[in-house]
Amino acid sequence: MRDNYKGYLFILPAFLMLLVILGFPAVAAVLQSFNLMWVSKPAFTLRAYTALAQDPEFLRSLSNTVLFVVVVVSSHLVIGLGVALLLNMEVRFKWLWRVVAILPWTMPDVIGGLVWRFMFDTLPGIVNSVLLRTGLSAEPVDWLGQPDLAFGAVMLAESWRGYPYAMLILLAGLQSIPRQQYEAAELDGCSAFQKFLFVTVPNLKHMFIIALVLDTIWESRLFGMVFSMTGGGPGYSTQILTLLSYKQYFQFFNVSYGASMAVVLATVLFFISLPYLRMSMRQQL
Amino acid sequence: MLDSFSKRVISCLGAAAVAGAIAGVPAAAPAADVTITYSDWQLAQDIWGKSLRDAFAEFEKQNPGIKVATEPVALAQRDVKFTTAIRAGAGPDVFALDANPVKQYIAEGWVKDLTPFIDKEGGKKYLEDFYARALDPVTEGGKVFGIPKNIVAMVMVYNEPMFKDAGIAKVPETWDDFRAAMKKLTKATKPGGPVDQWGWTIVAAKAGFDLRFSAILRGFGGDFLTPDFKKSALDTPQAKEAFKYVVDMIHEDKSMPPGVAQVDANAARRMLANKQIAVKIGTTWSLPEVSGMNPNLDGWKVLKMAHIPQKVVDDKSVRSTLYQKSLFMNPNTKNPEAAWKLIKFMAEQKQMQKWFDDNLMLSARKSVNTTYKPIVDSPYAVTVTNEIDRAAFLPLIPKWPEILETFRTNLQDAIAKTKAPEAALANAHNQINAILARP
Repeated sequence: MRDNYKGYLFILPAFLMLLVILGFPAVAAVLQSFNLMWVSKPAFTLRAYTALAQDPEFLRSLSNTVLFVVVVVSSHLVIGLGVALLLNMEVRFKWLWRVVAILPWTMPDVIGGLVWRFMFDTLPGIVNSVLLRTGLSAEPVDWLGQPDLAFGAVMLAESWRGYPYAMLILLAGLQSIPRQQYEAAELDGCSAFQKFLFVTVPNLKHMFIIALVLDTIWESRLFGMVFSMTGGGPGYSTQILTLLSYKQYFQFFNVSYGASMAVVLATVLFFISLPYLRMSMRQQL
Repeated sequence: MLDSFSKRVISCLGAAAVAGAIAGVPAAAPAADVTITYSDWQLAQDIWGKSLRDAFAEFEKQNPGIKVATEPVALAQRDVKFTTAIRAGAGPDVFALDANPVKQYIAEGWVKDLTPFIDKEGGKKYLEDFYARALDPVTEGGKVFGIPKNIVAMVMVYNEPMFKDAGIAKVPETWDDFRAAMKKLTKATKPGGPVDQWGWTIVAAKAGFDLRFSAILRGFGGDFLTPDFKKSALDTPQAKEAFKYVVDMIHEDKSMPPGVAQVDANAARRMLANKQIAVKIGTTWSLPEVSGMNPNLDGWKVLKMAHIPQKVVDDKSVRSTLYQKSLFMNPNTKNPEAAWKLIKFMAEQKQMQKWFDDNLMLSARKSVNTTYKPIVDSPYAVTVTNEIDRAAFLPLIPKWPEILETFRTNLQDAIAKTKAPEAALANAHNQINAILARP
């Protein structure tokens, strides 16, 4: 009993720190969304939440976010799996390829957004420069000025920057598959594709779910890449929820409204993370 | 009874006092230095930052015991940083703001009422040297919350040799002449090559949009809001004409470079510096900034300034927008007296003269603009000073940042052709009215 008490004492500082760092902002955001904290006239109201349901800009940003997350996370899983399979093969300079493959992940998202923005710049951008020089286009393409092109460009940029995260998770999964299973499949006369389908895929199922859930959460919270690349424009075409929340909170000073968007997003992400939490708790038991 | 630790502390202090006296140091400690923090987006810029640091060095010399610690902040992050810090009971003691967000800062209590400090300096007498309109953005309910430092009006900045090369003998004064001139300036500089020179560009990205587009709108006799700031004024014929004029110059005339939706104030400066465009909307600060971007341009020689075109020549109505930088005190400051000394020092005539010498920025004090010889002798300063009376501030209401962004977003939709210009403007009009109707 006395030892248990000591154990709790040891984890107390870390627990308190987590409570302050993670708990306080979360509680503050909830209180602000109900107009109870850091506002000029505090008074409980649900006005921010009722306004959300009727705000076309919020609904547009929500649908943008869903489309963005679906496309980007899918591309991360496909590219990540492909690169993980390649890096799992016996090749020369394997360490070098691994370093190269992980490089996009090391780039801060704001910097990544700026780099892609310069690449897609209408006049001095390298993409237009190549298109014009090779004759593939007669005049500069306004990549970030046309809604569909801008959304595509942002998704392409984030697909590039974020795939190593899924790749690392899946590579760890590939390396944990027992070699004997492949040897048994070979003895049974399986082709390479059949080995992938009947050995690799079933063994990667858990890692796949982990990558899917964590990457979905990560991409739903993304801010810097889109902010620095398009700022949400042109119009509202690349505006995702995090950008709208930022705008309402910091640019328009609508504290309650901005906080309510953050609370809605956090609630949705909590439910998305449930399969992962259930799976990891089952493994611990 | 004192314990042994207390006795040791007392004996050490005693020994230190004796040692100090022996060394000729007064036994009483000198007044502790006060450090005032100052934050300003211009600290992060080379030329402006140097001017500010020079001023602080002078201030520290004149006020021994007060140190100034600078806290540069990016313009885009300024309000994020200030408002978060001030809400949390922290933040810089003194900071600078342009006119746009000031009313919101006042409404939320994020700036200190300076009226008691001003009263000690003579009240109305202290303020009478400032332009009356310069006090509008910083005054609310008879209380003064900030001290204006610089004020300028937006004008047309153009490259004179490029005008001559295009056969434009006279600077356009009407929008019809302006449109014809911009078409003439748009061309391929290499025979048979693609178009690589355009007449001008608007700023359609966020940074710098407010001051530039509003000047065009006002040049047409329109405005964003009704004079009482209660309704949108975007349904007026003038606003409709201005909006369509700009969109047509992008789509039909193609007299602006492609990609205009991403052009911010800095990109426009760069295009003017590289002779990709011949005209932009700017003010006195354009000269040092554009010249600094491309010294080969010889900007101080080739760049000229003229007023914003209008529908009819000699029309006396408002045709431009005012920019103002003012200084504010944080309500959380622990050293209000020292902070006020710094604000007062920065708003002195001498400092404002230096600000013109270094950065070509006009003063919010009438006496500086009308008597300081370098200002009186500068053709740029004269052009801009004359426009101060023909210009107005952007709407001084807390909802202005949201209204402006709503308008800009709809303009971008029109530029991207996702909405017809008329539909985009009508949408902006309705959205702005909805924002204004909100409690």
